[in-house]
Amino acid sequence: MLRSRMATLGVAALVLTACGGGNAAAPQKKTELTLYNDKGAWTKFFDEMGALSKPSIGLGMKPTGYTDSAQYQAFIKASFRTNVKPDLFTWQTGGMLEEIVKQKQVADTTAVWQEAIKAGDLSQDLAPYYTIGGKQYCVPMNVAYWGMFYNKKIFDKYGLQPPQTWDDLIKTADTLKQNGVKAFYHTSVLFSFVWFEQLMAGTDPDLYDRLSTGKAKYTDPGVVQVMERWKQLIDAGYFINPGDKTDPGDVLKTGKAAMVSFGTWFNTSMTQRDLKPGTDYDFFVIPNVNASLPKTSMIFESGPLCSLAKAADPDASMKYLKWWTTAEAQEKWATSRGDVSANPKVTIKDEALGTVTKDAGSGKYRLVNRYFEATPPPILTAALDGFSKFVTEPGAYKEVLETIQKAADEYWSTHQ
Amino acid sequence: MLGRFRHGYVAPAAILVAVLLYAPFVWTAYLSLTRYDGLEPPAWVGFANFGKLLDDPALLTSTRNTLIWVAGTMVLPVGLGLLVAVLSYDIKGGAWYRVPFMLPYALSGAGLAMVWSPILSHGGIANLLLGVDTAFLQEAPHNTLAMLLVWTWQQLGVNTLLFVVGLQSIPKEPIEAARLDGASGWRLFRHVIWPLMRPLTAVVVGLALVASLKTFDIVWVLTQGGPGRNSETLAVTMYKETFVASDYGYGSAVAVLLTVVTGLASYLYLRRQVAS
Repeated sequence: MLRSRMATLGVAALVLTACGGGNAAAPQKKTELTLYNDKGAWTKFFDEMGALSKPSIGLGMKPTGYTDSAQYQAFIKASFRTNVKPDLFTWQTGGMLEEIVKQKQVADTTAVWQEAIKAGDLSQDLAPYYTIGGKQYCVPMNVAYWGMFYNKKIFDKYGLQPPQTWDDLIKTADTLKQNGVKAFYHTSVLFSFVWFEQLMAGTDPDLYDRLSTGKAKYTDPGVVQVMERWKQLIDAGYFINPGDKTDPGDVLKTGKAAMVSFGTWFNTSMTQRDLKPGTDYDFFVIPNVNASLPKTSMIFESGPLCSLAKAADPDASMKYLKWWTTAEAQEKWATSRGDVSANPKVTIKDEALGTVTKDAGSGKYRLVNRYFEATPPPILTAALDGFSKFVTEPGAYKEVLETIQKAADEYWSTHQ
Repeated sequence: MLGRFRHGYVAPAAILVAVLLYAPFVWTAYLSLTRYDGLEPPAWVGFANFGKLLDDPALLTSTRNTLIWVAGTMVLPVGLGLLVAVLSYDIKGGAWYRVPFMLPYALSGAGLAMVWSPILSHGGIANLLLGVDTAFLQEAPHNTLAMLLVWTWQQLGVNTLLFVVGLQSIPKEPIEAARLDGASGWRLFRHVIWPLMRPLTAVVVGLALVASLKTFDIVWVLTQGGPGRNSETLAVTMYKETFVASDYGYGSAVAVLLTVVTGLASYLYLRRQVAS
């Protein structure tokens, strides 16, 4: 009896040990790192980076891509308490990065930043997005400027030019509407915030910033007016149906909508579809709604590549992050995806994106942090649901704003 | 001899069940009494999360949708499954008639939704074929009903198969006796076949009840519970609150509620069936 009980306890101990989250993993020397990311569609490009890093710095890299960001985030958070730890992982700047830095889970990259800025591989302007408590964490996995991708063949067919003012943009939408073409893409899933942030930033970027820090309310008149303008655009019939599940890349390619607003990373979708920039499609900066603003507001995002403070081989992970910022790595990373780079030395092949990057670097635009990063996660969740409801039921805008504000009140009551 | 080692024989299975089923349940029940974001240690809040449940309009919507799923499942996949089984059972080549209904069962919930997404999306294949401009997946409760039809398309076959097994297990004698007494058609089914199929029906309905109460994958892939949370079920609310909003405490409270509702519904239904 005793023996069988001991055996039972033994098995239980083994199972629990296997499942348990010990923290006493001995440091290892790694020659290949795992890179967990929520960009499953980019696996091919991560693989190419792994193939390049191996001969360059003696460290290979194997990506594990997730396509569901909720599952991905849950996995990363769970990994903090187990021995299954990623060597490198992608994350989000803003509140989400702050959250895990406060938990002391993320490796300090201040030295990498200082060296990269000195070498001209990173811009000082980017540092604030990665600075928490005076130190830098992670390095830029990517940067993106948001604007409008447009189907050039449709524009050429109707004699349209990229708009210089908001009125021009509306005239363009009217012309397209008269010819039976939907002007804009929007969706009720995930990217339901795009037009809200664009209209807010182009109307009152200060209010947008105050909103993201809890110093303004979603029910303030300025926000209500933005929602009313958005409603007018929907009511005017400029948008495709938000329930259309066609991939936005195909929406633009097939001309289902003539314009799609996304970050410069959307260029990857264009290149994957063998579309030629300047011939099949092009890109313009969306003009401000409020023409009196001193600078054109441009939505900006930067996604971090991080390493854990308790990485299996901290030196190898840091070495990889350092290499990631170099011109050699970034040239490959940007070119293969047809995107822009965080490294100012990298030449952007796409002419329109190259110009935008150069202009943004020279201070021509007011860069506004993307809503996804600027908004604390609990408010973001309520807002994404709210905007999703709004695009299918525009008349409900006041109710939507009140619901988001309720989540904001709850959050800011404990986080000011 | 056997008695001496019986605990040892049972131990591996018992440990697996304890570790993989009961321990997570106890942990979830504990989390439901805390505020927990997955990072900071859980902070005890008592029954605050359950109080919030009562005051959450999204929970009301997901409860309504879950009830639609339960009622719809009883009528469509189960009811139609019975109809197809009865109509195809006693005819020549009946098995071949049932094959098309079985094929969709091979698809996973996520795969199923991927197949139907381009059909049901606004401007999709269904709109083109029917010549209508209806947003099948946008407005509530139509979106839940549309997804129920997809669910029916997948589940009909297996329910049909189970009912056919039930029909085959019925002894021939009472049916022949009833026929000799002049019973046929609806009367034969209602008063003879249906009562004899009761044990099998209890299993089919019981399984469908539990499956419909925890409907998740099909909704998640087709609408993600939207737009504006209007197609959420309790299981989707549980997932969203836990993993999207990182409110593990509140998500766990929804999980506990869902477990209690599912357990209670199953118990009450099965007790009634067993008693009768």
